[in-house]
Amino acid sequence: MLKNYLKIAIAVLKRRKFFTFISLFGISFTLTILLVLTAFIDKVVGDNYPDKKRDRSLYVSRISMIGKGYTSSGPPSFYFLTHYAGTLKTPVKIAISSGFNGTNTYVNNKKIAVNYKYTNAEYWEVLEYNFLEGKAFNKQQVDNAEKVAVISKDMKNQYFGEATSVIGQYIEADNVKYRVIGVIENVPITSYMTYSDIYLPYTVAKDGGYKTNKDYQGGYFGILLANSKDDVDKMHDEYDQMIKRLPITDKNYDHIYSHADTYVKSYVDSGDEKHSGTFIAVTAISIFAFILMILPTLNLVNINITRIMERSSEIGVRKAFGASSRTLVYQFIVENIILTLLGGLIGVILSFIALQVINGANLIANLELTINFTVLLIGLLVCLIFGLLSGVYPAWRMSKLNVVTALKAQ
Amino acid sequence: MFKHLFKLIWNKKKQNFLLMSEMLVSFLVIFAVFTLMVYYYNNYKRPVGLDYQNLWVVDYNNTYATKSTDSLNTYYENLRQTIKSMPQVKEVTFCSDNVPFSQNQWTGDTHYKNLALNSDNYVADDNYSKALNIKLVEGRWFSKADAVAKTQPVIINDELKANLFGNEDAIGKLVGTEDKKFNLRVIGVIRGLKAKGDYAPVRNAIYKRTDTGSYHSLGKMMISVTPDADAAFEGKLYKTLANYMKNSNIEIEHMSNKLKSTNLFYVVPMIVTLIVACFLVINVALGLFGVLWYNINKRRGEIGLRRAIGASGQSVSSQLVFESLILATLSLIIGTFFAVQFPLLNVFSLEARIYLVAMVLAIIFIYLLVFVCSLYPGKQAAAIFPAVALHEE
Repeated sequence: MLKNYLKIAIAVLKRRKFFTFISLFGISFTLTILLVLTAFIDKVVGDNYPDKKRDRSLYVSRISMIGKGYTSSGPPSFYFLTHYAGTLKTPVKIAISSGFNGTNTYVNNKKIAVNYKYTNAEYWEVLEYNFLEGKAFNKQQVDNAEKVAVISKDMKNQYFGEATSVIGQYIEADNVKYRVIGVIENVPITSYMTYSDIYLPYTVAKDGGYKTNKDYQGGYFGILLANSKDDVDKMHDEYDQMIKRLPITDKNYDHIYSHADTYVKSYVDSGDEKHSGTFIAVTAISIFAFILMILPTLNLVNINITRIMERSSEIGVRKAFGASSRTLVYQFIVENIILTLLGGLIGVILSFIALQVINGANLIANLELTINFTVLLIGLLVCLIFGLLSGVYPAWRMSKLNVVTALKAQ
Repeated sequence: MFKHLFKLIWNKKKQNFLLMSEMLVSFLVIFAVFTLMVYYYNNYKRPVGLDYQNLWVVDYNNTYATKSTDSLNTYYENLRQTIKSMPQVKEVTFCSDNVPFSQNQWTGDTHYKNLALNSDNYVADDNYSKALNIKLVEGRWFSKADAVAKTQPVIINDELKANLFGNEDAIGKLVGTEDKKFNLRVIGVIRGLKAKGDYAPVRNAIYKRTDTGSYHSLGKMMISVTPDADAAFEGKLYKTLANYMKNSNIEIEHMSNKLKSTNLFYVVPMIVTLIVACFLVINVALGLFGVLWYNINKRRGEIGLRRAIGASGQSVSSQLVFESLILATLSLIIGTFFAVQFPLLNVFSLEARIYLVAMVLAIIFIYLLVFVCSLYPGKQAAAIFPAVALHEE
């Protein structure tokens, strides 16, 4: 039966090439845009390099203090992360790193912009960077405030050129010479909690904010690592309890909010307690996708109706010979799904080309977009929804067709 | 004529309903795109308000360990003299970290009588306007004499002036940045800076003068240089700064590059929106074209009859074009009803003029689209021979 439908579908597609082209164009382009969008989202929030233990990690990226007429919201301080978050019982390790900051260095009268980041030793145990050369700094090196640096592959190429190995060489940044002890695979800037060009021990920070700053806020991120996946909820609750007990030191404020959240939640955290960042992000993306899909769907419905009405004599004959409305609706939906899947196939090819172009344009350094399995699956799902949405109404209209009028029309 | 066309449309309301809803949604999408474009263009038209070529920003942190304000002032005054003495340096200014084209923003309300307007707050020294080459509209910029002024002087931009005082004179008026405390005297009005790049609006802005204790909290310096200042000089400047401020992190950025990256925040969404809108328009155009074409083929009998009783090809094709234009009008009326809500309810706090221009543009666009899409089918209808068409019946 299905084979027959397939034959009919292809015959119909061949008959009206212009309509086929319009339908396929609409489906494939909509799908391309949706696939590029999902590839981007998937890369930004779904890529787990270098935090491969994401399923048992919680991220602390913000602490907000709210009072009457005052709001202050920003990353927590080193002091807070070691003295409060650091004393929790559930986390086995806590990675602490500053946000990345910019400075310059000048090589052979050429200026290189450098982003640097201070981290503790556990940072390298919680996060699994791919080391191309050398290794990370350890606790002893951090405690001794040794001037050592882990640099990214990009930084190595920019600073040292085509050198084969740079371990043991010195890199000058911010007017200080650091000994390179490791080179890592690049991280795109969109992973703002782990991205940097140079990673330095926090003890060499010039401003000494890790020692002197006793406030809760201060430009550091924390990643709490639980022993196992099951402990994550416990860790989350323990953190919330700790925040509730946190003494309020500034009289301008009466509430302190901070959460240890999963990666995605902390990534879109806007610092607004009432409107969660996840909600805003999901709403914005859904509205965009909805607008993007409604027009092509309407268009497809229009075209499909036109096509069906064209085939009224065929429908009339089938009805006259006893085909039920259900069979006809079923046939038409199958035909439509075949059409959308065909469009989907073209869409996947188009998105593949589009992603290559986007990667080639290098809009965001080191952000390599790829079509992966999840994205393909989402694309397939979108196709099916598309096919159903644009097929059901025309099919229903068709099944209502009166045999006599249908046959008479010709 | 129109009554007759309405009747024809009404007779096929079921079929036309979908066509109309497609036009309606396209209108709303196009309206949104045009609103964005008109808004950007409106902002783009205004001058940036500062000379960003050959202007560098130095980011530092104040780590000079002293409690004494006097020695801190001497420390930074010496630094200023050192930098100023370099041949390539034209002007040096210390200011709050919300320099133009950065992500930093300090906002607060500016009060005047019963008005409280959200505005950007800046702290700037006497050389700020010279370094950035800001145009004064009225009054003057800060000078040394202001240090001993009885009431603290402030400078506002033309945007804030227009919003606070309208056509009144601003110079000498007292405003406040705290509730009900009007203790700041306006001494000058400057042409507004587009602090967020070419495509962003000029926001209300109020500038306070650096006072004796300001150096404790400042963290940015802007240096205007001669056109021949190159990377070698920048390296030298960097060394000078780093050696002078031993415990500070230092970063030198070029204003022109900062402008470029700030503009990206506006340009990238614009490009994405345009690509998507283009694709949607092509999609809709093809769809309309296909449906109209099909409809005409179905109405061959009717058209043949009209031709047979003497209608010219011209009048047949114009009938079809008019029919689709009336359809477009109907959906545009509904669409305008929705679109008008934006200025009425003041969503997104844009000027009503922007919405109106965008609406007019969108209406013209949809009419053009429908007209172009129905032109060819209409022409085809005109080419129908009555004998052939009627023979089929």
